[in-house]
Amino acid sequence: MQLFLEYLFNGISNGAIYAAIALALVMVFRGTGTINFAQGEMALFTTYIAWGLTTKNVPVILCLLIATAAGFVLGAVTERVLIRPIERKSLLATLIVLLGLFLVLNSLDGILWGNQNYTMPSLFPNAVSSFITLGGARLYWANLGLWIVLAVLVGAMFQLFNHTRLGLHMRATASNRESASLSGIPVGRILMLGWGFSAAIGAVAGVLLTPLAPDSLGVGEMFPILIQASAAALFGGLDSPGGAVIAGLLMGVAEALLSGYVSVIGGQLQEAIAFVAIVVVLLVRPQGLFGSKEVERV
Amino acid sequence: MSLLEIKDLRGGYGPSLVLHGISLHVNEGEIVVVLGANGAGKTTTMRAIAGLIARKGSITLDGQSIIALSPDKVVGAGIVLVPQGRGTFAKLSVEDNLRVGAATRRDRAAVKDDLERWYEVFPRLAARKRQPAGTLSGGEQQMLAIARALMNRPRLLLCDEPSLGLAPIVVREVFSLLTRINTEQKTAMLIVEQNAELALAIASRAYLLEAGTVVSEGTAESLRDSDAVRRAYLGY
Repeated sequence: MQLFLEYLFNGISNGAIYAAIALALVMVFRGTGTINFAQGEMALFTTYIAWGLTTKNVPVILCLLIATAAGFVLGAVTERVLIRPIERKSLLATLIVLLGLFLVLNSLDGILWGNQNYTMPSLFPNAVSSFITLGGARLYWANLGLWIVLAVLVGAMFQLFNHTRLGLHMRATASNRESASLSGIPVGRILMLGWGFSAAIGAVAGVLLTPLAPDSLGVGEMFPILIQASAAALFGGLDSPGGAVIAGLLMGVAEALLSGYVSVIGGQLQEAIAFVAIVVVLLVRPQGLFGSKEVERV
Repeated sequence: MSLLEIKDLRGGYGPSLVLHGISLHVNEGEIVVVLGANGAGKTTTMRAIAGLIARKGSITLDGQSIIALSPDKVVGAGIVLVPQGRGTFAKLSVEDNLRVGAATRRDRAAVKDDLERWYEVFPRLAARKRQPAGTLSGGEQQMLAIARALMNRPRLLLCDEPSLGLAPIVVREVFSLLTRINTEQKTAMLIVEQNAELALAIASRAYLLEAGTVVSEGTAESLRDSDAVRRAYLGY
């Protein structure tokens, strides 16, 4: 029971991160129609910014806020400068540009901060003894804090989508872009905001995730997470924000339990789970759990 | 001065020109219909006015040039297009569709009143408020598209083939609603239509397009009686 709970807690933490990044991917997909391959690298870049500030003794909470703002700007600028001029040409061109951005940001991380790994201080108490005991299992404050912050963040995003004027305009733009502009919605500005929000979500996820393990801030940190989150987004349905969150959590928990109990998978084959999930979803239910049918063409 | 004044409008898709200098006008509170065969440039004219395609020439609303405005700014200026194919936000509820129509408005209370007003005029929409708009029938979606456009309180309503794909009885219903809205709200309308007889019946003036130019214009009556229109579009 104790072991199960510890696996479960880890799974929920990873799952919350996958869910957050998957939500960010879905937000971009609904507006622009592509998977943002650079989503993980944007999150990593802003996490480096936060880490850089912590080394200058800036309080972690302030670093988180600055990284979130930086993420928002990075996302919005990416849409305005890189995506908008290209996307009229073709979807494929947009994908290539995003792959390019992935490489540029990754190399930039290396140039600016070097290739060694760093340990990121946590927003929450993060000593070996900072845990509460639940059913005999240890639940660390850093994990619990991550759950709460991401739950609040995701809740706020859903509130925005479903109960605000801006959210309505975002949904309208995602549903039918031309019709949205014929209704007087400034579609460009809406897309830019969507990209900004999604990169800001990534920044929060990065800053909360990195302190969970020592030495985890490095240039390769986010790529595996992007793969897992993409699998989650696909699994939940690429155009369904709720689906992305549920699938992200499921993936995190399934991964933790499988690698804990099935010794063949262990720590080595963890990432393979995501690939298996992608293949199975594409074969069995291409629109995902909660997605709509027309997404199949992607 | 006319409400909408178009002079020498040229435009098209990419390098190929579809409109070769169209001039027309719509007066305050008037219904004007644009007739023409497939490929005459009717839809392109509408899309050019709405700002969806590159265009040259002059388009003014109340004497103010709107030729350089983006589609959302054209809406802000008071011209709303009900596009061909209706442009339904399929996954949004009927009510959300209507709210999107009020995107440029800030007067919340009045938006609410308008919602109620259009539910009264279009009772079938009221019965389906919470339903995803994509599940409505073609006729209901056409009514939704018109109601959505009206939520903006436009000065000029552009309707691109409102009868497309609808059963004759529904077409008559749509046209009688358009007439009612024109009488009650004094909303000016520019309607593109293949169903010439029906359109001429509710319009006061009409233009006939052929290959991207205006070949004939006049009162609805005079066009109904003209041999060219009769032969080509009325079939008798």
